[in-house]
Amino acid sequence: MGPISATKVFIHLLDVLEHGRGHVLVSSDLDDLFDSILLADERFRGEGFQEGFERGTRRGLQDGRRHGASHGAKLSSEISFYYGFAITWKCLLQHNTDLKSRKRVKALETLLGLIQNCPLDDPQSVNLQESTEKLRAKFRQVCSMLSVPTDFKDYIKTAEGTSF
Amino acid sequence: MKESLSLVQRLSAHPDSRCWFVSWSPNGTLLASCGGDKAVRIWGREGDSWICKNVLQDGHQRTVRKVAWSPCGNYLASASFDATTCIWKKKNDDFESLTVLEGHENEVKCVAWAPSGNLLATCSRDKSVWVWEVDEEDEYECVTVVNSHTQDVKHVVWHPNQELLASASYDNNICIYKEEDDDWECRATLHGHTSTVWSLCFDATGQRLASCSDDRTVKIWKEYPNESGQGDLSWKCVCTLSGFHGRTVYDIAWCRLTGALVTACGDDGVRVFKEDETASPDEPVFSLAAQVTKAHSQDVNCVAWNPKEAGLLASCSDDGEIAIWRFQEEN
Repeated sequence: MGPISATKVFIHLLDVLEHGRGHVLVSSDLDDLFDSILLADERFRGEGFQEGFERGTRRGLQDGRRHGASHGAKLSSEISFYYGFAITWKCLLQHNTDLKSRKRVKALETLLGLIQNCPLDDPQSVNLQESTEKLRAKFRQVCSMLSVPTDFKDYIKTAEGTSF
Repeated sequence: MKESLSLVQRLSAHPDSRCWFVSWSPNGTLLASCGGDKAVRIWGREGDSWICKNVLQDGHQRTVRKVAWSPCGNYLASASFDATTCIWKKKNDDFESLTVLEGHENEVKCVAWAPSGNLLATCSRDKSVWVWEVDEEDEYECVTVVNSHTQDVKHVVWHPNQELLASASYDNNICIYKEEDDDWECRATLHGHTSTVWSLCFDATGQRLASCSDDRTVKIWKEYPNESGQGDLSWKCVCTLSGFHGRTVYDIAWCRLTGALVTACGDDGVRVFKEDETASPDEPVFSLAAQVTKAHSQDVNCVAWNPKEAGLLASCSDDGEIAIWRFQEEN
């Protein structure tokens, strides 16, 4: 409401008070009337913000969920790959008695141990990053021991996007 | 200065290319060099001069960055940008390729033999350090892959008498590794340099470590027994040499015979530092004893003291040349 029309209202009110025309307006009624006019802008802004915030929260949850699912899937598929790899090689070598095979089985068991201890259930874990890096390094070492070239591009892509 | 650094001979080692590294054999009679021409050359003394005895040409597909002799002197390892490390065996006067160690994702920056002769360490631009074990049948097996650095690892060096390894990186840090349950782990990270650490070397006893960096300084680190008596190591920087080098210091070598330090610098100079005998061991003082400001026409990449002949020094440069020097203390 512009300054001129607000002034008109004010003058009308003064008139009423002075000459007793219209109903008798109590001071609280005056306050409400002014409040609803002058604070209209702020009120609507507040309502809009609240609505927008709720909508944004829902949207954020959706995006976050999608992102988390994607990242989780990549990490999980990488670690499962190592698990399948280690279990298979262990099966192949565990009955051999020569020193070389025994050393290799020991390394594979260490790799499996690292996989078990990886805190995959807790994405916020401070150890997750360190654990996965240790795991990747151990995997590379095991591949070197087994003389397996680390060319797994067709099978997995690590969560960080680092290629093999 | 009563000390001097004089030129003995200049060799055109890797023509039209950079000479990246030089290494003396353990008995001091041979010098191995490697370069951008993908070759390794072996130099020996004939009378008063040094001549090329062997050229190891077909071991690598790219630049050979470093070479290292085994403690017995019968093997030579070469680390290359082609991501492999080649092990050569000395047979009479010739060298043959024994095996090729693969595994690093990209350029191998350094290779080093442990004093025991049973272990080898390599490091790479892929940020990892690999420790390899050699058995009696000359078979090499990787025992650990460690990722303690966050950037390119430039150099690895073994302690002279303990099973301890140190590495230097583009991430400005130095890492110290010890073996725990068959696995090598980083036990200490030395912070202090403000730019890439290019090289490291231990003194004769291994109680101190010297490092050189792109920040144009040399730092001396000393090992202190840990206060709580636990396994973890504690190294503190006890001395920083600054203001001597105009550019990046690419290499440093500590003479096991005389205790003198020599540096290779990007300002083309070679500098020798001597330790002040009277200073406290916790606050060592090094002063410039001799320098050749224009030792080469380009960046000096490497310096190495002869292990048997005190004062004999080799340097090599981007200009493809090797220079042999004599550091003398005139009395």
